[in-house]
This record gives sequence, C-alpha cells and structure tokens, in this order.
Amino acid sequence: MSVLSIGLLYGGATLLVMFSGMPIAFALGAVATLFMIAFMPAASVDTIAQNVYEEMASITLLSIPLFILKGAAIGRSRAGQDLYGTLHAWMHRIPGGLGIANVFACALFAAMAGSSPATCSAIGSAGIPEMRKRGYSGGFAAGIIAAGGTLGILLPPSITMILYAVAAEQSLGRLFLAAIGPAFLLVAMFAAYAAWQFLREHRRARALHERTGAFSELLRPDELTLRDKFALLPRVLPFVILLTGVMIALYGGYATPSETAGLGAVLALLLIASIYSVWTPRELEPILTATLRESTMLMFIIGMSLLYSYVMSYLHISQSAAQWIVSLELSRWVLLATILLLVVVLGFFLPPVSIILMTAPIILPPLKAAGFDLIWFGVIMTIVMEMGLIHPPVGLNLFVIKNIAPDIPLADVIWGVVPFVALMIVAVVVLSLVPDISTWLPHKVMDTGVDWMQVVRVTGYGCALILAAGFLIRFAVKRSAPAR
Amino acid sequence: MAHGIEIVEVATSAPPVVYAGPVDRVLAAVNHAVVVVSSVALVIAAAVLSYSVFARYFLHVPTDWQDELSVFLIVGAVFMSGAAVQVRRGHIGIEAVVAIMSTRVNAVRQVLVDLASFLFCAFFAWKSFTLLHEALVEGYHSTTTWEAPLWIPYSLMAVGMSLLSIQILAQVTAALVGRRARP
Repeated sequence: MSVLSIGLLYGGATLLVMFSGMPIAFALGAVATLFMIAFMPAASVDTIAQNVYEEMASITLLSIPLFILKGAAIGRSRAGQDLYGTLHAWMHRIPGGLGIANVFACALFAAMAGSSPATCSAIGSAGIPEMRKRGYSGGFAAGIIAAGGTLGILLPPSITMILYAVAAEQSLGRLFLAAIGPAFLLVAMFAAYAAWQFLREHRRARALHERTGAFSELLRPDELTLRDKFALLPRVLPFVILLTGVMIALYGGYATPSETAGLGAVLALLLIASIYSVWTPRELEPILTATLRESTMLMFIIGMSLLYSYVMSYLHISQSAAQWIVSLELSRWVLLATILLLVVVLGFFLPPVSIILMTAPIILPPLKAAGFDLIWFGVIMTIVMEMGLIHPPVGLNLFVIKNIAPDIPLADVIWGVVPFVALMIVAVVVLSLVPDISTWLPHKVMDTGVDWMQVVRVTGYGCALILAAGFLIRFAVKRSAPAR
Repeated sequence: MAHGIEIVEVATSAPPVVYAGPVDRVLAAVNHAVVVVSSVALVIAAAVLSYSVFARYFLHVPTDWQDELSVFLIVGAVFMSGAAVQVRRGHIGIEAVVAIMSTRVNAVRQVLVDLASFLFCAFFAWKSFTLLHEALVEGYHSTTTWEAPLWIPYSLMAVGMSLLSIQILAQVTAALVGRRARP
C-alpha cells in the first residue's frame, strides 16, 4: 500500500474511533497498535510497552503532575480571593479599576496555579459577584474572568508549553521566556479594554441617571481605606514571592525546569499549610486526589499520543504529509494562517495536549522550512489554543463561569467574551508583525547572559514608572470625578 | 491549564458506580489503596527534586539519582492509578456524538467502546509483562550513572495496565448483566 493510502486510512480510523466516544488515550493507543500489527514488523509490535515507557520516562514530561500539584494546592486555598481583594484595594481609583484588578489577579493567579479553569473559578467566584454588585453588566464581568483565565496556559509554567517543547525539541526555558512578552501584551490589552468598556458603561449609566433619575451602582464611588490596602498583604505577598523565587531559580540556572516543578509543589504545600493551615491528611486528600486523577488522565493521553506519532513517523505518514505541505509552496503567511486555522478546528474536538503531540511532526517541518522561529510559533500556537477555551463549542472556561454565576445567561457570557477573542486575534497579528515582543527576552537572557544588577535596575525603573503613572491617573480622576 | 485538560472536572461529575458484587468491592478497595500510595509518591517525587536543588547548591553533592527516582515514582503513580480514574470514567473522550444518540443506542455504543478499550489495555498489559520478564531475565538497567534496575518501573506499568483492564472488564460485565448503577 502506498504511503498516501496508509496515511488516509490512519487519519480515517482515528476520526472514526475518536468520535465513537472512546477515551482519547485508548483510542490513540488502539489505532496505533492496529496499524503496528498490520503494517509494521512483528518485532516492533512486541516493543510497544517499552516504546511508551521510554517516550514517557522523561523528567521534563513527568514534571507535569508536579506543576498540577502546585496548581491544585494554590487553587484550592483561599489565595485567589485574597489576591483579588488586595489588588482591588490598591487599584480601585483607576477608572475600571475593579475590572483591571480582576485581569491582573487572573494573570498573577494563573502564573502561580498554571490552570485556566482553576483561575476562572478562584478569581471569578470572588470577582464576578463583586463586579456585578458594582453595576458591571453580567456579560462584561464574565468576559473579563473567562479571558483572564486563559492567561494560565501562556504564563509559565504552562503544561501546553512543556509538551510543545518536547514535541518540537526546543528548549523549555527559552519557550517559557518567549511567552512572557506576549503575556504582558495580552494583559495590557485586556486591562485597557476593561477600562474602556467601564467608561462606556459608566457614561451610559450617567446619561440614564440624568434623563430618568435611575441610579446605577456604577456611579457610586468606591470607598476603601488604607487599612483595606494592607490587611491582606501579608497573606498575598508570600505567594508572589514564591512565584518570583521559583522563576529566579529557573532562569538563574539554579534549577532545571523539572526541579522547579518539584520545588514549586513543595513550597506551595508549605505555604498553604502555614498561611491557611491546610495540612491535615483529611484536608490534603482532595488536593492530592484531584492532582492524581488529572495527571493520570493527562499522562495516559500524552503517552498514547507519543505512541501514535511514533507509528505515524515509522510509516512515513508525517514526513510525507510535511513534504506535501512544503511542495504546495504556499506563501509564508498563507501557510501560517492555514496551520493556525487547522489548530482552531482541531481545538473543537481535542484537548491542546493531543493537538500538539499529534500535529507537531506534520506542521513544524514546513514552518521551519518557511523560516519561522519555532519558539515564536510555540507562543502563537498557545495563544490560538487559548482562544479555544473561551469560544464555543468547547469553551471550557465558559462552563466554569456558568457554574460560578448561573444567573448570567450563556448568551450574555458569550457576547461578553467576543471582544476578548478579537483582542487575542489582534495579539496574534501584532506578534506576527513584531516577533521581537516574544523573541527578544529569551535571546537577551539565554544568549547574552543575565546581568542581575541590570535586572534589578530595570525592575526598579519599571516600578517607579508604574507608581508615577498611578499617581497621575489618580490625580486626573480626582479632577474629573463626577459629583456625587 | 486547560490546556483543555481540565475537561476531567466535567467528566468526573459522572455518577459514582454503586459497588454491588464482591469483585467490585475488592477492586474498589485496591483502587483506594493505590490512590493513597500514588498521592504520597507524587509528594515524595516533588520533595526529591527539591532536595536535588538543595544538595547541588548547598551541600555540593553531585545529583545523579534524583531525576531517575522521580521518574520511577511518577510513572508508577500514573500507571497504577489508571484504573482508579477509569472507575469514574475520568479518561476523557469526545462526547459530541453521544449527545445526539438515544439512550438505548448509547448503551450499546458504551459496551462496544469499553470492549475495544479493554482489548487494547489487555494487549498493552500483556506486552508489558513480556517486557518485565525480559528485564528480569536479562537484568536490564537504566543507562544513567545510577544504573537503576528497570524491572521496578516495568512491573508498576504491567500491574497498573492489568488493573485497568480488569476494571474496564468489570464495567462491561456490570453493564451486560444489567447491574449497572442508574444515575
């Protein structure tokens, strides 16, 4: 049989078995095994177990359960609410400050916990009721949280990126660094949109108030005291320090990515034990069991996806498909757009982990041949898969929101999310035009070596700049504050 | 991290299976024990990796066995708890078609899918046992400086996949004899 017909058969069999509702892990494994029996020498069928073990027994891949453990530990404590409360107290004077505080809280929490749905439910359960109490429309509030939650798979440490690094044979540390610039870009865009939308809703409410005298909570100025600002700080700071400490351990070269995962998990467990006194076996059990269940499910899919792509490459299916794409001689951007579209469509059915492992051998060689930086593409692909979390038909984050705030109609939630999906598309375009946003940082850190004094200096300038901007905004808002 | 991953949260909301027969009860007890031990293994792996950073930077001891030990612990934990995840149907699949099927057709589909899953897992378990046998007879070691015997992770993989196969088979039989718990 020709490679083409085997390839078509392979794809067809996979679709059929997947849509039968068979668990993804077993489906991939079963299809791979069947094709091994049919088309490969008997000796290779005998080594199937060894094959899976050897592919899985990489400490980089196996750091995934540890990152999940860290996320579960932080996600199930009150850290989310406290973080959100603190940010709100510090930012409430900025127009739309409450919304912006939610975006920032999502970003910080996502970086600590590394999980989108966990971020949505941790920040959203405190943030959505508060925003609605303050007069934000339901859709807007839901949109902020759903979109903020997606930052989880972009900010390091993200499981999606670990898999991409393994599949594309790229440096994980470099990939993590490459995601930081784009993550900041997205956070800034989300925050700017939150402020703009707040001002729009605010203006509308004021117009209505002047016309009909109807009062909206949006018009009531926030009153939070200095005490509120400092009350939660002692509980929040340790987590932020944990986050930065682990990052420094990783990028300062003190620890490998997998050691960082272990360290992060241990420190997170110690923190929730000391700050929220979660330490008895009974309290830890749900955290550990949830971690184990999720990790097992995920690692089975990963292991079988690896077997699946091994068979695909042994039978020359991936190579031929890649060659075929190259031979189409599409222009660079058409190629990129087509591949991203493929990722979006696959995202309707498959979790990102299997998309990455199954498609990498096919889509990466043509991209490389077209001169794209594979680290950069990893970031782009991650953002595109992030979008899949907030748009139908899968839109996992939407369901999490629906759980926290059942009274917001699903249509409102979806409409509230649309602007954020648009912003993400804009971000992808911006990153394509200015790839330096992503590639500058890893280049600077990994290729030229880090001058830590300079890092401290730049951080200092950054903080001073943010403070100055804060005071300016505060001053401007005070002068233009509407009469009570 | 969804990574689309957390679909598990949705998937595990399936009703828990009621344990009727003695086989189910034994399996449940085994799974519970496995989950407890595996959870502890994960925490130990995290501690071992943390120790590795500490040892290298403060004690100036070469770190050669920590990565490998963590791999064994995590691989073991994952393969051993495959069955415990299957009990609550925690291995996610694409549910798009399921939604448009009638209950009767769906029940038949479920049995067929489970049978196929069982065949694959049993085949995998069998190959794992032959691999384990080979590793024991030939005395396979890892290629690292630690030279850990490979029968340790292989045996965990073999036992875990067997447990998983038995679990799926138990679910199929339960469905066939109509003892399946109604939601």
